[in-house]
Amino acid sequence: MKFRNMSWAPYLLLLPSFAYLLLFFGWPMVQSLQLAFRRDSQILPLRAEPASEEAAITGELERGTTVEVRDVQLFETKAAGGLLTDKVFWLEVSGLNPEGETVQGWALRGQVFVADASRSATGTVRAGSATLRAEAQPDAEPVGELPQGAEIAILAWGKVDSRIAAGGLLQKPQNWLKVSGETADGQTVEGWVERAPIFLKDAKISATGRVQSGEGSKEWTLDYVKRMLNDAKFSQALKTTLLLIVLILPVQFTLAIIMALVLQSQLRFNSFFLYLYAIPLGISDLAAGLVWYTIFTQSGYLNSLLQSLGIIDKPFIFISSANKEWIIIAIVLAEIWRATSLVMVIVVSGLQAIPRDYLEAGEIFGASLWQRLRHIILPLLKPSLQVALILRTILAFQVFAVVVAISGGDVVTTLANETYRWYDISSYNNKNVAAAYSGFIMLLSLGIAIFYLRAVRTQEEKEAVG
Amino acid sequence: MAEIRIENAVKTFGKVVAVNQVSLTVHDQEFVVLLGPSGCGKTTLLRAVAGLGMVDSGRIMIGDRDVTYLPPKARDISMVFQGYAIFPHMNVFDNIAFGLRMKRTPKEEIARRVRESAELLHIEEFLERFPSQLSGGQRQRVAVARAIAVHSGVLLMDEPLSNLDALLRLRMRAELKRLLNEIRATTIYVTHDQIEALSMGDRIAVMRSGEILQFDSPTRVYDVPADRFVAGFIGTPPMNFLEGQVRRENGVPCVAIGDFMLAPIPEMYEELARRDGKPILVGIRAENMETLDAPAADALRVKVLVVEPLGSQNLLTIQIGSDVIKASTHPDFAVAANQDVWIRLPGDKIRWIDRETGRTIIPDLESLVSAS
Amino acid sequence: MSSTTTTQAAPVVRRVRVRDLPVEQQRAIRARQLRRAGTYVLAITIAVWIMLPIWLVGTLAFSTPADVRAYPKQAAPIPFSTDTMEFFLNARGVLPATRNSIVVALLTLTLSTAIAAPAGYAVARYFFRGRDAYRLGILAVRAFPIVILAVPLAVTFRNWGIFDRVYSVALMHTALTLPTTILVVSSVFASVPRELEEAAKVFGCNAFEAFLRVVMPLALPGIAASAIFTFVMSWNEVFAAVVLTLENRTLPALILYNLDKSGDPFKFAGGFFMLVPSLIFIFFMRRYLFNMWGQITK
Repeated sequence: MKFRNMSWAPYLLLLPSFAYLLLFFGWPMVQSLQLAFRRDSQILPLRAEPASEEAAITGELERGTTVEVRDVQLFETKAAGGLLTDKVFWLEVSGLNPEGETVQGWALRGQVFVADASRSATGTVRAGSATLRAEAQPDAEPVGELPQGAEIAILAWGKVDSRIAAGGLLQKPQNWLKVSGETADGQTVEGWVERAPIFLKDAKISATGRVQSGEGSKEWTLDYVKRMLNDAKFSQALKTTLLLIVLILPVQFTLAIIMALVLQSQLRFNSFFLYLYAIPLGISDLAAGLVWYTIFTQSGYLNSLLQSLGIIDKPFIFISSANKEWIIIAIVLAEIWRATSLVMVIVVSGLQAIPRDYLEAGEIFGASLWQRLRHIILPLLKPSLQVALILRTILAFQVFAVVVAISGGDVVTTLANETYRWYDISSYNNKNVAAAYSGFIMLLSLGIAIFYLRAVRTQEEKEAVG
Repeated sequence: MAEIRIENAVKTFGKVVAVNQVSLTVHDQEFVVLLGPSGCGKTTLLRAVAGLGMVDSGRIMIGDRDVTYLPPKARDISMVFQGYAIFPHMNVFDNIAFGLRMKRTPKEEIARRVRESAELLHIEEFLERFPSQLSGGQRQRVAVARAIAVHSGVLLMDEPLSNLDALLRLRMRAELKRLLNEIRATTIYVTHDQIEALSMGDRIAVMRSGEILQFDSPTRVYDVPADRFVAGFIGTPPMNFLEGQVRRENGVPCVAIGDFMLAPIPEMYEELARRDGKPILVGIRAENMETLDAPAADALRVKVLVVEPLGSQNLLTIQIGSDVIKASTHPDFAVAANQDVWIRLPGDKIRWIDRETGRTIIPDLESLVSAS
Repeated sequence: MSSTTTTQAAPVVRRVRVRDLPVEQQRAIRARQLRRAGTYVLAITIAVWIMLPIWLVGTLAFSTPADVRAYPKQAAPIPFSTDTMEFFLNARGVLPATRNSIVVALLTLTLSTAIAAPAGYAVARYFFRGRDAYRLGILAVRAFPIVILAVPLAVTFRNWGIFDRVYSVALMHTALTLPTTILVVSSVFASVPRELEEAAKVFGCNAFEAFLRVVMPLALPGIAASAIFTFVMSWNEVFAAVVLTLENRTLPALILYNLDKSGDPFKFAGGFFMLVPSLIFIFFMRRYLFNMWGQITK
């Protein structure tokens, strides 16, 4: 081996790949851990009293928490040296804090988005008289007049006045109320009245809202991991994933070795067989799932065959929640069908690396095919098999599309499938738990990968010696 | 003028010193062979001349130009590689024309010179073929043709014949020698095959462990090896060594091999006298011993272990004390294994090697060579 | 070289009839023939096991819509019809998704090869400090479930504002294929003898010219095969694609996402449509199969 002078050239050539993998492999890995273990939340502190930033904090709510609005108070604050007054609303809300306890306290209106406010209240006309109008507009047609002191029932809050409505929902009732009351001549009328002349009594707010902002906070948390671990589907997914490995790998390796030996036995059309055997290498797991779906679906080929043979008289429903084991069988078959070629290719290259002398020596000394396999081929293939085993195991942690294609991914689920389910916007839409899942898969793979590196190392050492 | 001068070249790979302070001058149009076992640094030295690996220190001059740190293309050299390095994606014509094209030679000139080189190597009918359609020997010829087509002053050859089978190698050896005689380029030829070196080189530089042990004409390298290594490396079979001890007998130094007293030529007296009582190595080539089937006063009685008839000669494996040596005899000399024979060691053919330094003791080199 | 030109008489081969031989030899010959036949049966059985499912899904993809729905199913597409295939191709989103898939795969191929080629060359040609560490790192990354990283990457892409873009899927796929491509390309470069490059330099090339005129032409077929490999990986990849897109689905992502909403004809035709390229690609790459997938330690 000749060593060139040390130079920067190789490092320059490696740089793009290194940078790329750092950006699109290293960084997502960090990001994944962050998502899984860091709560990147905004916490809204609730105050014991309204209109005071200094008041004691009675509790904290996470952004997105649904709250009940208990009360609303309006405060005027002086700004700009007292020239301008600003109206602010404080809401008293209660909700579940991250620890799951109910907390109650005051928060600024802007921090809580109120979704559907409804209030029940009664009131009286405060001063002068109030004109009821057909619509919540000052120039709308009057429908009646309520005298001072008339008792009114408030039917609805606020007709949208776009200019003000943009500021928030609760501002609307301040302008127009839909009320019913008795006119001076004893008639009951209904209509819109300006908020100003009405005195409200017994205001009861019934509103729900959502915490919209708060103080940003990042903290380490195991919540997402706990949530993943406690999820009923988690243990199912893990079990299924492991079960699939246990069921698939032995068959796959046996088959792969047989295929490799067949290819090594110098048949006619050898290259044609190699091509056929290699085709599944290029088939995606989704396509493989769909292919086997055509066989196992209710009106599929398996039922067609069984029925034409007279074994069954009506189609058997293989893929249903009642027949989990059939779904597993279908997945196992699909995976063996699809991924055995990969193992085969590794085994064939391993076989090609075995000097013919060894096999011929075995033959000369009278070893049968089985003995040669057992005592010569398999021991010499061990490094290849080891590596193939590890590669396949890691790939098995990612089984996803086959499962979805065959069974929809509900009845039988895998780790990768759960990752997607938690991520999916139309499903749980929780990136954090999804990241916890992906972190879990990475962790499993990391263990295998370390093992893998060791295997490769020792093999290279052996090569270096041999 | 394309004299090659290497001055104090040093090249290390990590901790391994591949070339250690080597200086070597190859005259214009001279054919110098770098000979040595694998790992002796000969290829490294050649590559340094080619510019394929820069030396760590020292200087390399081609003609009057210092080329130490110039890239290969700026050195006006050409080279024949051990694995031929024929470009598999070009046909023979394009391979031979490669160097000329790189120098932007006019088309007609390229065609002329490719044809000329191809004719010199008898491959003119293969010009359209691709390397995969050629035999090993033909590829070798293409490699040589490509190297001579560029008409460079310096031709470097890195074990060009080592991938050929024995018969072909024999043929190519003579052909290459004739060819190089014709084109008269300054040539450095690397080989580990001492017969190749002896038969082809104007001078041979024998290398070991990154150093040149001897740089001399083939005859002198063969006849008067500079040290025990050169003596043991060159020649088939290599030089025999017998353990002896310097004694003084009647005031004259002589060497005892067991009970036998070996008389040196008078030119050696002075050097041997200085080593009185010390062990010494007696070196003698197989063909320089006289084998007798009857005792003689100045002959040593030895036992034949093996007889190998080689056609032109018989090679005897002989035991002398604890040493086993080879002696060649005329094929008519009748002898069988386990017989005793007597051998005579002519004083002028004996090379005395200092036991401690391993160097050949040479009092007056000229007298030795003229005596032989 | 020195073959004699004298015409040789055709060798006389005397055929021996097996039954004329001693019993012991008869047995041995029969046993060998039997083993050979057994191997053929085995080889063909495995071939059928692999090809039959493809045949069946192909049958459904080219049956009439009525036959597709029929039960029991037929074993060959008679009468032949492209209606089911057309239905699939005309289904909403399929053609744009196919286009997206091709664009993603081409981008991945280009990016991956462009980044991997220099790295592969460095690993194949230079000896430098950290070379072994780099190679081991690449091996480890390749074994890693990179696809799973699509979830955190989706969050990153949202922050960068490149979520749901065709090229962002290609960025992910490049990360997925890069380690393998580097290993393959480096083995391709390593298979070009260093001497050839040196010869080019001796005969007047600089380093770049030597690469361009000698190394590149010889490495090109291998690199093309590796590019096809990259294309196949990207074309087939579904998890990252479905995670990183919403509107701009690639074909696998579209099919996967619509599985529960679509009927059997869509699935059958979709399955067949997706696996057709692999039949072609593997055919072109068959010489390089062992470079691509068999490489485990080199």
